[in-house]
Amino acid sequence: MTTTQTPEQAQRQRLHPLSPLLHGAKTLFVIIAALSWQTLNRLGLVHFAFVVGAVAVGAVIFSAVGWWNTGYQLVARELRISDGLLFRRNRAIPLDRLQSVELRRPLLAQLTGLAELRLEVVGGNKAEAPLAYLTVREASALREQLLALSGRTAAAATPATADPAAGVPASTPLLAVRNRDLLISQLLTPQAFLLPVGVAFVITQFVMEGSWTFIGIASTVTAMAGVLLQPIRRVLRDWSFRLARDPGGRLMLHYGLTETRSQVVPLHRVQAVRITWPFLWRLNSWLYLQLDVAGYETPDRGNDTGSDRLLPVGDQHAARFLVGTVLPGVDLAALATSPPPARVRWLHPIGLRFMGVGLHQDVLVTRQGRLAREMTLVPYARLQSVRVVQGPLQRLLGVATVYADAAGARSGAARDRDVAEAWALAEELARRAREARRAAPDGQISPAAVPATTPVPSAAPVPPTALPPAAALPPTGALPPTGAFLPPAAGFPPPPVASPQPSVGQTGDDAFWQRPPQA
Amino acid sequence: MPTAVDALQPWPDTVQWRPVSPKLITVDLIGLAVWQVILVAGLVTGWLLAGGWGWLAGIAAVLLLGVWRATVAVRGVRAWGYAERDNDLMVRHGLLVKRLTIVPYARMQYVDVTAGPIERAFGLATVQLHTAAAASDARVPGLPPEEAARLRDRLTALGEDRAEGL
Repeated sequence: MTTTQTPEQAQRQRLHPLSPLLHGAKTLFVIIAALSWQTLNRLGLVHFAFVVGAVAVGAVIFSAVGWWNTGYQLVARELRISDGLLFRRNRAIPLDRLQSVELRRPLLAQLTGLAELRLEVVGGNKAEAPLAYLTVREASALREQLLALSGRTAAAATPATADPAAGVPASTPLLAVRNRDLLISQLLTPQAFLLPVGVAFVITQFVMEGSWTFIGIASTVTAMAGVLLQPIRRVLRDWSFRLARDPGGRLMLHYGLTETRSQVVPLHRVQAVRITWPFLWRLNSWLYLQLDVAGYETPDRGNDTGSDRLLPVGDQHAARFLVGTVLPGVDLAALATSPPPARVRWLHPIGLRFMGVGLHQDVLVTRQGRLAREMTLVPYARLQSVRVVQGPLQRLLGVATVYADAAGARSGAARDRDVAEAWALAEELARRAREARRAAPDGQISPAAVPATTPVPSAAPVPPTALPPAAALPPTGALPPTGAFLPPAAGFPPPPVASPQPSVGQTGDDAFWQRPPQA
Repeated sequence: MPTAVDALQPWPDTVQWRPVSPKLITVDLIGLAVWQVILVAGLVTGWLLAGGWGWLAGIAAVLLLGVWRATVAVRGVRAWGYAERDNDLMVRHGLLVKRLTIVPYARMQYVDVTAGPIERAFGLATVQLHTAAAASDARVPGLPPEEAARLRDRLTALGEDRAEGL
């Protein structure tokens, strides 16, 4: 539990002896799911139980051998993991490439007091080396140690502050999501609306055919569950979502019901933040936030296994507060964007006014989406490359798309800008990225730079009173451009110069989010 | 090189674009021809075995497509270009969909130099720059080996100079 920096902890360590059982149970579950109800019907219960039993024993033996061959050790600034039965594999994970560490506890692990440690390492396209399973104590100690070792030069002070005496470092709670909101938000999804339709369909089908066999019903329900229970899975995953900041300035996320996840993300590893306003959530003016860290796999639509949540559901105040925490100096309510030229209407008949791009002091802001509106924030300091792409249709209209790539899975995309503006934007992005890097050569926001003035409400959720009115929209075009920025014809909103005093524009919150300012 | 691809030539006064070797056209054409021969051979066998106009139409379509792709290949090679600036490397390419990539040297993770069998026969190599972002795509094909080596060494030197994490 001590987080002292022992640079060499040379002996090879094993995972917890119960791991094979847990792995076996997991495999068993997968196999039973694969066998399906039809097999049960055909084999009969006794035979089925026999098959399952045999598979279970096999799985446990297999996992036990795997466990015997798996080990990890911490050598200097590397975590070495060896595993594999037929093909021995030795991996050395350089800890300065560590992006975030997640501690996952599936249901069975919760019952046995174990946890799985997952490391996000840049370069790997999936979570490298899940260490499954360790005791919670071991896992959190190892996590502390790994994070302390991963901190580079400037963060070397972090471990010193992170272990006051002993025990869990005191972290400041930032925010908690009410489970009621989470439930309501997931009821407001297309799937939830489809559920009654699906149920009615199934029932009428059975009534018409009059075949009320247990197997028939069970398999239909299982088949439906796969698609329609996504909201339920999301509720289970994001249950009692809590966010905190540890003394080192790192973000600590904790959530989940059947599988709890607790994730530590150093702020300087945040590559991008995406804000999404789903269509149905606009009733409550709700939104959700996603965090992008290098090493996260590209999120598929409908694949909910990723751990990129920053806020599963929340209102604008919470979002504004969190964005300001994760990207210091960025005020969500002051992020104005300008829409693409009107002639792009040929490409986007509807959503034109919801598209846009804005260059702000530290971040590039891009917006898109008709029904579900999205806003992506990419800090200049994280830019990896800038791309300008022009397709044939875009050439006819004289427009091009500018992509700002960060190391995460998401890129900021300024779609369909006027060609001249696109070039200027690309050049400006490259210049700003260079300057941002020069300002923070390590790409790191030192804990001292994190504004201490951020309101940290102890009670969750964030009381709206802790924040100034969120409708501060700087009058577009009122501020002079900083330096040789863009040709005036390009029509960008100038970056808000050094924290604009929230001018009390009485634009309602909704009005702001739904209508980008016309430049 | 005065190509008609205005959109790929930003900042014509300040940026000096370097073309890739015209020999790349030959390399691309050979690669294309190999596929053409395989496809046509397959279709011809089908025609001999089964007969019918469908096969002949297929052959004609493949040949037409080949001619079109050959023209695209020729012009596509001319569209490739790269420029080394003080702080970043710029690569442009593409005819139908035009792309320009700007990669700061500081963001470079590693450099690949590859040469396929046909490329090698013509004394060409491909330099590819990798950043931490999967989306950035800075590839320069059709470089003479000495130019590829020079570019690689320059990039590596600059990358180390300004190296940093993420």
